[in-house]
Amino acid sequence: MDAGGDRRAFRPALRAGARFDPLAAGRPVLVFESVHKAYRADAPVLRGLNLEIQRGEFVFITGNSGAGKSTLLRLLFAEESVDSGRILFLGREIGRLTPGSIPYLRRNIGIVFQDFRLVENWSVLDNVALPLEVLGLPTRTIRQRVGAALERVGLSGRGSESAGHLSGGEQQRVAVARAIVSEPALLLADEPTGNLDPQLALDMLGLLEDINETGVTVLFATHDRTLLDVRPRRVVVLDEGRAFDAPNGLDDPELAAADLSPPRRGAAA
Amino acid sequence: MRPIERAFRGAKNDLRLHALGVFSVAVAFVCLGATLLAAVNVDQVRDRWASFGRASVFLARGASSDQIQAIERALRASDGVTQVRHVSAEDARRDAAQGGKDAVIDALPAEAFPESLEVSVRKDVDPARLGQLAAQLRSLPAVEGVETYAGWSERIETLISGGVAAASLLSLIVLAAVVSVVSSTIRLSLQRRKLEVEVMKLVGATEGYVRQPFVIEGAAQGALGASLAIALLGVLYALVKSHLDARLTALFGLTPAFLPWPIVLVTVALGAALGATAAFLSLRRFVTT
Repeated sequence: MDAGGDRRAFRPALRAGARFDPLAAGRPVLVFESVHKAYRADAPVLRGLNLEIQRGEFVFITGNSGAGKSTLLRLLFAEESVDSGRILFLGREIGRLTPGSIPYLRRNIGIVFQDFRLVENWSVLDNVALPLEVLGLPTRTIRQRVGAALERVGLSGRGSESAGHLSGGEQQRVAVARAIVSEPALLLADEPTGNLDPQLALDMLGLLEDINETGVTVLFATHDRTLLDVRPRRVVVLDEGRAFDAPNGLDDPELAAADLSPPRRGAAA
Repeated sequence: MRPIERAFRGAKNDLRLHALGVFSVAVAFVCLGATLLAAVNVDQVRDRWASFGRASVFLARGASSDQIQAIERALRASDGVTQVRHVSAEDARRDAAQGGKDAVIDALPAEAFPESLEVSVRKDVDPARLGQLAAQLRSLPAVEGVETYAGWSERIETLISGGVAAASLLSLIVLAAVVSVVSSTIRLSLQRRKLEVEVMKLVGATEGYVRQPFVIEGAAQGALGASLAIALLGVLYALVKSHLDARLTALFGLTPAFLPWPIVLVTVALGAALGATAAFLSLRRFVTT
């Protein structure tokens, strides 16, 4: 319906996959510049946050509960707006997008939540196909791409099953398939392992790493220290509204000195 | 998946809620439909009586046969008059007593009934021309009065105007009822499908995309409600008609009619339009990016 050539459409300079733009490749996918956000005047969540994320990076966003991890992600897909500062996604300032442009921004971002957010009375296929239906793609293309996405998350041939009848781990895989089916430039994962047991959480991490290998930038928000220790990855710790960057994981001596390490799995509220 | 398929899937999941909505809309439309049905039939009676094509010239007592024949001749020569029949007082009494079946009337003396000339006129004769002819006849000394039945037509006209006013008022009430019912149903449905809407918005659906199935559901509810109302009225009409057909025919000289197709179609279209509008308006506050 409205998938086509809307002039207001958010047109990123860079997307994962076929539409590679060498000029845009050098630019960061995400830039946060002095971002402030407060829900209450006396308790700001983000206080002048500065952060750059390059194309193809896998970044953990961590911090204690209430540190602003989810807020940061919500700002990215324009569910919230910044109080001051700016966020650039593929060179475009998110805060300056018109309400009509926001859906087009979201078509370039895949999102995975802790609570899966699947429509349980729909089939797996219907859930995963939704981002493509929104784009107005032909049914045959949708079926092909949904099939490929389900295969990537290890749920090949499960399309006809009701999403509500799957296990928690499988539901999260469906959510990941839905997030990647439209080949977004950026994948946001907001505590995606929060409802999974440790082994499934590791599997989920592996799946998101595999997706990252294909060129998709992944922002993985978690307070689970166990996951951060699996492999040395860039970790951004949110504390008192600011971002502390640990390019080589939490073993970074500078970070250790600041004692900003998040608690291990199960210890956080 | 097309919007209509999405709407169907949504309605299927909330079947009971939508059925209740359709029934409520139907109740509102039954009131409007009944008024329209009455208006259609009264209009039919008006048409029938307006083109009744006859007049009665009541003769004064003591009018001579020469005078009567002269009036008869003059009437036959008048434009539009097709037939003139002389009804004596005795004939009038016999007609009123239905050939002796009504003993009370039959017992009355013939003088109690006026002698008249029953005039048939072509149906296309202008009522104004008929009125002019009646006025000329009234001025004759042998004529006591003239009945063109225009008064009945005027009275029915008044009745129809009242019916149209009532239908208009009911339309407004129906409009408010349908908007209220469909809005509530759609809002409830939206609440139940909050996650579905949230997910759609998260994956980049525009407001139009999110609204479409709900607007289609609203339109379908309105159209189905109006159709159900017409079906209910049809059943009621069939029941009433079979019982009262002969009496109504005797009373009004015609058989009652159901709503004509154009009115049925307009009513269903009105239901759909009202439902779609109500759904659209009720979604405005809820479906924002």
